[in-house]
Amino acid sequence: MVLPYFSPGWFFGYDVTLELIFAVVLLLVVLFTHRVYKTTSQRSVQIFGIGITFMAAGYVIQSIFNFLTIHELNNNLTFLSKAQYYLIYQFFGTYSHILLMNVGLILILYMTFRIEDYKILAILLATSLISIFLSESPFYLFTLLATIYLIFISWYFIKNYMRNRNKKTLLVAIAFSFLLLANAHFVFSTNYPVFYALGHAIELVAYIFILWNFYLVRTYDKKKGKA
Amino acid sequence: MIRKRERLEIIHDILVAIKDKKETKPTHVLYKSNLSHQMLTEYINDLIKKEFIEEKLSKDGKKTYSLKQRGFDYLKDYESIKSFMESYGLDE
Repeated sequence: MVLPYFSPGWFFGYDVTLELIFAVVLLLVVLFTHRVYKTTSQRSVQIFGIGITFMAAGYVIQSIFNFLTIHELNNNLTFLSKAQYYLIYQFFGTYSHILLMNVGLILILYMTFRIEDYKILAILLATSLISIFLSESPFYLFTLLATIYLIFISWYFIKNYMRNRNKKTLLVAIAFSFLLLANAHFVFSTNYPVFYALGHAIELVAYIFILWNFYLVRTYDKKKGKA
Repeated sequence: MIRKRERLEIIHDILVAIKDKKETKPTHVLYKSNLSHQMLTEYINDLIKKEFIEEKLSKDGKKTYSLKQRGFDYLKDYESIKSFMESYGLDE
């Protein structure tokens, strides 16, 4: 079983910072989603909020363990000690990140289905988590599955834009399309570390769009036709 | 084809109807919200439970409604909330 840390050497540390930024952006959205849910009590809002909470947690975990890995690798330790720390941090970091991100994406995917049956959610979670954790290459399988989920999620937001054509819906549709593109890059990062860096860069673009949308929503002008 | 109002919009219409006066009679809310009596009763009970509005008895013993702070906050944030829900397709 390969435990990955795919970052090319020149990208060490940048991934930690970027993942924290992604988590902060998502947390802003989470806080507002919670407020919206308290007001509307709408199930779709609740599921969406929980989904992005899990994604934010996934980024935080990934950032922490990547930081710890780099920190230990830079320490003046013997090679054996470094290898031990590397394995421990990457084991916990990778599996925690996969678990949290997978649950988050599946919850958002489930929200897009607009069905009331929790059995579908249970099946999606069970089949994906079991297959990932029993796989020889869990990270590779996770990125493949996440890409598939994001195809459906992106399509949902693109249809939402076609239904409500305005700047805000367009920003969200573009953001999730970029997340799909980023994840597609991570699929190749197991063999080509440069894709790990590229994936993060594309994710940054996606989260800039999400932040931009959040800004427009929060500063929504009460005059009709604006934003 | 008449567009079906979303729950968010219905709550907004009810609260705006109640906000107009200090003590609003149910018939006024019924007229302004354009809901059936049964639907309005359900929404009103939900809004009272969530402390958006409160029910009082007027001097002549009739039921009236007035907006509470959460109701005012809802109206203030309505456009942001609606905009957010529309962005993420949560308003379907």
